[in-house]
Amino acid sequence: MSNLFQYDKDREAASAAKVRALEALLIEKGVIGSDSVDTVLGHFESVAGPFNGARIVARAWVDADYKRRLIEDTPKAIAELDLPQGMDGAEGEHMIAVENTDTVHNLIICTLCSCYPWPILGLPPYWYKDPVFRARGVREPRAVLREFGVPLSDDVEVKVWDSSAQIRWFVVPKRPANSGHLSEEQLAALVTPEAMMGVALVPTPV
Amino acid sequence: MKLQHYLGGLENLGPVDFEKRVFVQEWEKRIFGIHTAMMAESVHLSAALPQYPMDTLPTTFKENWTWASLRTGAEGMQPFEYFKFRYYEKWLMGISQFFVDQGYISAEELDSLTAIYREQPDAPLPVQPNAAIKEQIGRYLHQGDSGLRGLPQPARFAAGQTIRVADPVAVDHTRLPGFLRGKLGTVARVYPGAFEYFVSTGADGLNGPMPVYQVAFDPVHIWGKEKSEPNTTVYADLFEAYVESAH
Repeated sequence: MSNLFQYDKDREAASAAKVRALEALLIEKGVIGSDSVDTVLGHFESVAGPFNGARIVARAWVDADYKRRLIEDTPKAIAELDLPQGMDGAEGEHMIAVENTDTVHNLIICTLCSCYPWPILGLPPYWYKDPVFRARGVREPRAVLREFGVPLSDDVEVKVWDSSAQIRWFVVPKRPANSGHLSEEQLAALVTPEAMMGVALVPTPV
Repeated sequence: MKLQHYLGGLENLGPVDFEKRVFVQEWEKRIFGIHTAMMAESVHLSAALPQYPMDTLPTTFKENWTWASLRTGAEGMQPFEYFKFRYYEKWLMGISQFFVDQGYISAEELDSLTAIYREQPDAPLPVQPNAAIKEQIGRYLHQGDSGLRGLPQPARFAAGQTIRVADPVAVDHTRLPGFLRGKLGTVARVYPGAFEYFVSTGADGLNGPMPVYQVAFDPVHIWGKEKSEPNTTVYADLFEAYVESAH
């Protein structure tokens, strides 16, 4: 829905003024504090974000036993790592990791809204919230994945996970070829939110 | 039927917009922050597993506010309007209206203050920090609001069983993706325990703790052979109220 991002400037200025007026009134009336919104936003800079997911994936790539534990009992395996407190907090209370292999490709979607594993991936990007993705991803995932630059042959099984109840899903993507020389930290730097939702591959480092 | 419940499978939409940003305008961050602060202050959290101290929280906010509230608003929109607005535009409309409807603010004061900020976009916000709310926001984000509860009665279905998805009447809010209504699937996993959704959805069926099933669907059973891609499985997590015997 590309035209959603081409409104005239007035529309955005009107929304910006309205949200500021709303926040001001809520502060004045004691509903929230003037530090409340910044507190929320700060959490997604320092505690919750895709930097956590990337570290989980990198560990799974370098430690096959860890990867097995992550798939079998995701919260417990996440708790093993030295990540910030709160990885089972809001929108991460019940997470499950699924693994991409040579024979299976996983795609995460929320056809009803935008459920997303906040603690380890942060907030959902616009493509994930796009009604077009939510509509097409469940019926023609291969066509959508091709558009996203992930061509799959028919002998790779596609599993689409619709986040319709309590579980927040994420993908352990395939480790790129020729990455054996990279450290765990360097591997983590290659992992994107898109790869952890199944709409991107992790490219081989150059 | 409500179009907002039936996005899955809608055709003729053209390409997906691969916009990777979370916020495309700075103002969107503010409404996200307001919504999340409201979730952290929601009265229902006094019954949440982490035992949040809601009774003593120094806020004038005395409402339940969860994802169900936001979704009820979105699902109540005129469906074509729903698609005209961007994600956070809908949040701003729904949340502003909520505060007006509940009497926290008046439409007039919101309009007149909006006009002032429109003239002076950089005019400051009031300075009135609230350490206790700040602390509660941190607690909520770190500890969440799990719906996990004890199992009130044994799960009715078992892994491997073929089931049919229920087709309850469309109400204000549902967690049942429309494209699955009436379809046959196979229980892949019965999640341990029971889960309670934020609210009762009335005739839709969510009410109190119930088992949740991971159900696998062959796309041919959803879309028919002509409209399905090969070698694909669609999984959905379905509350027991949405699951019926196949026979």
